Amino acid sequence: MTGRDPQARRAATLAALIVAQGLCAMFFVGDVIADIGVDVAESRFHLPLEAFVATVMIFGVIYFMIELRRLLSRMAEMDTGLRAARGDMAGVIERFFDDWELTPAERDVALMVLKGIDNETIAAVRGTAPGTVRAQCTRIYGKAGVDGRAQLLSVFMEELLAED
Amino acid sequence: MGTIRTSDRGRAGARDIAVWDPLVRMVHWGLALSVLVNGALTDEDGIVHEWVGYAALGLLAIRLLWGIVGPRPARFASFPPSPGAAVRHLGGIAGGDRTVHLSHNPLGALMVYNIWLTVAALCATGIMMGSLRFFGVDWVEEAHEAAFSWLMISVVLHVGGVLFDSRRSGVPLARAMLTGRKSVPADRPVV
Ligand code: HEM
Repeated sequence: MTGRDPQARRAATLAALIVAQGLCAMFFVGDVIADIGVDVAESRFHLPLEAFVATVMIFGVIYFMIELRRLLSRMAEMDTGLRAARGDMAGVIERFFDDWELTPAERDVALMVLKGIDNETIAAVRGTAPGTVRAQCTRIYGKAGVDGRAQLLSVFMEELLAED
Repeated sequence: MGTIRTSDRGRAGARDIAVWDPLVRMVHWGLALSVLVNGALTDEDGIVHEWVGYAALGLLAIRLLWGIVGPRPARFASFPPSPGAAVRHLGGIAGGDRTVHLSHNPLGALMVYNIWLTVAALCATGIMMGSLRFFGVDWVEEAHEAAFSWLMISVVLHVGGVLFDSRRSGVPLARAMLTGRKSVPADRPVV
């Protein structure tokens, strides 16, 4: 709902549309519920027509929701790309670490891995056994869905080299 | 989501992380408003009370759909109802754990589901009271009253919990429900 960013404004507009249309759908559904079992005088098409309108509107709501979801993830990606372009790699790295739900210890290790520090040195710096660092690395690679050091690095290289 | 903007709102060393999308926020304040309006302002037997009740039910339905379709922090999978996790969370608080949850914390999650269920029960009994079949049936009216009382207790606990956790975690949570961004002190681990 921040005014400056046109995409944020679009997202807010879409959300407002979803709420408005969802409420309209609700009122039709409410009317259908109220009419069930009541002898509707107007016509026998009244109830099915209302039910049809409600169904169409609900599908509309779901369609808008999928659109909004897409817009939001595009916005998140663009933000990451921008930061990478601005040289704010620290912010980009933090975001990935957050996404992977790394523990504080794992973040520490992962950052040193990215800086090219070898396991022995990491263990010495952190005052742990090399085995511990190896286990932490395995967990980090697992959470990031990569095979090892080189692939972990390439995740961030990709952000730097991304075209859009 | 999880977009980060490093401290562009002045709090030194804080990361601003986008968590609540506009739809979550609109539904939250819309639901809070409709609960307030129907609890305090409308005539209980009037048509406006009924409309506001339907609006609350509509907002709830939207939020439940969004819990399946929406982005990560809004999804049910990010805050599963788990009493075990809630108890562990309490233990963590007592032990000084200062982890920040990007979605609801496990205790908050239980409260969220509780509020949604209670609102659903309120709407269901309310609709029943207006229907021919259950019109004037005592237990339905009593259930409606009971659900409302429980909702009031829940909301007090909810706002209390928000204030408490804002202090504990150092993240201004109510502001996050307004702006969409949690401002997380740099030294806090994030889940
Ligand atoms: C009748 C009043 C209220 C109701 C029924 C209500 C209900 C809810 C619900 C259902 C959620 C979950 C949101 C979601 O995931 O979609 C929530 C979250 C939240 N509410 Fe409320 N709320 C009420 C009033 C308030 C007030 C007055 C505040 C301001 C202090 C507030 C602050 C918040 C915050 C900050 C969250 C997110 C908590 C987190 O970060 O995990 N609410 N509320």
